[in-house]
Amino acid sequence: MKKMTETQLAELETDLNTIRDEVLADLGERDARYIRRMVRLHRSLEAGGRIMMPFGFIPPVFVAATATLGIAKILENMEIGHNVMHGQYDWMNDPSLHSQTYEWDTVCTGDSWRRTHNYEHHTYTNIIGKDRDYGYAVLRLTDDEPWKPWHALQFINYILLSVFFQWGVGLHELETEKLRSREISWREKLPFLKEFARKGGRQAFKDYVFFPLVTFPVAPIVLAGNVGANLIRNLWSSTVIFCGHFTQDAETFTEEECEGESKGHWYLRQLTGSSNFTGGRWLHILSGHLSYQVEHHVFPDLPAHRYPEISGKVQAVCRKHGIHYNTGSFAKQYGTVVKRVLRYSLPEKLMGMARAA
Amino acid sequence: MLAKNTQHKALHWLGRQLFNRNDPEAFFDPLLERINPMWVQEYTPARVEQVLSETRDTKTLVLKPARRWSGFGAGQHVNICIEVDGIRRNRTFSLSSSPLLWQEEGLVTLTIKRLPGGLVTNWIHDHLQTGAVIGLGEAFGDFQIPEPAQPVLFIAGGSGITPVLSQLETMAAQDYRAPVTLLYFVRTRDDVIAREKLLALEARYSALTLNIIATNESKEPRYLRDRDLDAVPGIKARQVYLCGPKGLMDLAQNLLYQRGFAEEDVHSTFFSVGKADLGNETLGGEVQFEGSQLEVGSQGDASLLEIAEAAGLTPRYGCRMGICHQCSCRKTTGTVINRLTGQASGPGEETVQLCISVPRGPVSLDL
Ligand SMILES: Cc1cc2nc3c(=O)[nH]c(=O)nc-3n(C[C@H](O)[C@H](O)[C@H](O)COP(=O)(O)OP(=O)(O)OC[C@H]3O[C@@H](n4cnc5c(N)ncnc54)[C@H](O)[C@@H]3O)c2cc1C
Ligand code: FES
Repeated sequence: MKKMTETQLAELETDLNTIRDEVLADLGERDARYIRRMVRLHRSLEAGGRIMMPFGFIPPVFVAATATLGIAKILENMEIGHNVMHGQYDWMNDPSLHSQTYEWDTVCTGDSWRRTHNYEHHTYTNIIGKDRDYGYAVLRLTDDEPWKPWHALQFINYILLSVFFQWGVGLHELETEKLRSREISWREKLPFLKEFARKGGRQAFKDYVFFPLVTFPVAPIVLAGNVGANLIRNLWSSTVIFCGHFTQDAETFTEEECEGESKGHWYLRQLTGSSNFTGGRWLHILSGHLSYQVEHHVFPDLPAHRYPEISGKVQAVCRKHGIHYNTGSFAKQYGTVVKRVLRYSLPEKLMGMARAA
Repeated sequence: MLAKNTQHKALHWLGRQLFNRNDPEAFFDPLLERINPMWVQEYTPARVEQVLSETRDTKTLVLKPARRWSGFGAGQHVNICIEVDGIRRNRTFSLSSSPLLWQEEGLVTLTIKRLPGGLVTNWIHDHLQTGAVIGLGEAFGDFQIPEPAQPVLFIAGGSGITPVLSQLETMAAQDYRAPVTLLYFVRTRDDVIAREKLLALEARYSALTLNIIATNESKEPRYLRDRDLDAVPGIKARQVYLCGPKGLMDLAQNLLYQRGFAEEDVHSTFFSVGKADLGNETLGGEVQFEGSQLEVGSQGDASLLEIAEAAGLTPRYGCRMGICHQCSCRKTTGTVINRLTGQASGPGEETVQLCISVPRGPVSLDL
């Protein structure tokens, strides 16, 4: 990681705080209108998808219905749920958009997400051994993690994780790696498992039991469409999230580096551990503006639609301090993610030999 | 009835499963609001039918709440919510109309005075227009007329007349059979709220004696004095209702208690947070926010809500004065003092209102 003195870090902190304060002072009507528009769009897509689905025996309608519901889920998870739960809209004092009570349309419970994502991942971003989002305990993405033989097949794990992403995220807090190593006991995880079963059951009931049943004669079509919509959402959100931290230049950190770190150092870590991708307005919206992962990690509780507006200022701060601002086209960034998954399936030694040869 | 109830419960359960929220009926609100704001389910919508000017700084809103609203008793208040610059604000006002108007015409009125520097009251005066829809909570408060009839004395000041208006209308309509006196204090004659209504009431309801007193028209301010009370026939037997600025309320209470009134015969409604005297309590302490893994110290009479906000948290809140319970939160350990009553809580797990709870020693919250 780039080395900076404490004075430089303090200056970095002041520079970024200035950007943050400007946005905070300007929050109001415009942001409220934006998020409400997104909510309205989500409600319309959700209703539209569900209504079209039973007519899915007509193939183009099936495609339209599945895509509509899939996009509804993406919009709700990424641009609404994720961002609301970060507290981006708490200042509106609207109970339906409050971070602590929001519950989203996915298996992971809001509470579990607030603990594992908002707290663990955003505090310990990319610290190997502390940020369990880094590789989700199934992918080896750095040589800091010792190689084990099963890593050789991790590309299969990667595909499975993407396909079943909502279940993977839902079970994330189970900390299976710690259960396996007996660091924690199943008994400790009982309350979590109960909550997981409740929410997972609720989601499965809705998409795989209730809606197919109420449209009984076409149940298989509705079931297939709902599975398809969830799959679309799983693939898209996992891809977006992987592009945020697992790209080639996104750095990782050790626990020692970060012990007793200052806020400035935390900022530096967020800047260098995250990566953006470029694209059109709707690509950004459908990624919940996680395409501005750098801005999001520096300011997780500013309304996400503000990230494009402040991106220029963040880049200027990066230039001033000589920090690499990691961005590129979606295809390029995703390519480096795939490469990274493949590359670290092999041990360091082997990679070293390959390079020497 | 039972079947209907069960059906409702089953639907509600299903709604929770489908929409992932405890108030599933509000799921489509953002869409409904666009089509017809009166269809919103999260709160009771109320349409502004008329805005009437009372005095230089007071307006009366005539509202038509959605029919599902539960109604109210004379003298009760409501919380309204209004969005100002993207932020939802909750404020409390007394219903100034009689419940009969609601029962017969589906209308209620709020009489709202501009508070200098106040955010919402000024916004209402400057921006709220006929046709707009605001949010209404359920009515609350126990500032209610004695049944069966007993002699009554109202002492009101300024905008404190609002719950009294509702009560007088109700009493006149049901021909409340006991002497009723109103001592109404205003700054100047121009500041009398609902003058026509009061005069009409006096004319039509013979039990009512009306005495409007301007405090600031003479060189020396003319406040409530013992002689005003002497002039009320049979004052000893009256139930007294006070509503107005703190100065007037304190003065009236002193005069009444000196006359040997019992506390239960003097009823007060406060329009602002009456702070209990926490003078000789040692307050403050370490507050632990367990959900956010944060611990901060506090000193003096800062409320848990203020402490949380100073620490960068954003708990839910509404009125910020102990009325609406929006800010309720689980306290796991520690003792808090209620700012309004000065009473100490138990040390164990319970729900507290953040906005009026002041820590005494270490406190842990599920926040
Ligand atoms: C039970 C009850 C019934 C009521 N009934 C009525 C009624 O019928 N009619 C009526 O007119 N009123 C009534 N009120 C009073 C009414 O609720 C208040 O006037 C209203 O809430 C003020 O809202 P606001 O947004 O205008 O003021 P706010 O912005 O909330 O300000 C409140 C006060 O704080 C001051 N202030 C604001 N910001 C700050 C700051 N940053 N620092 C320091 N001070 C600040 C303001 O100057 C003002 O004096 C009632 C109150 C209660 C509790
Ligand atoms: S905010 Fe209304 S009771 Fe605390």
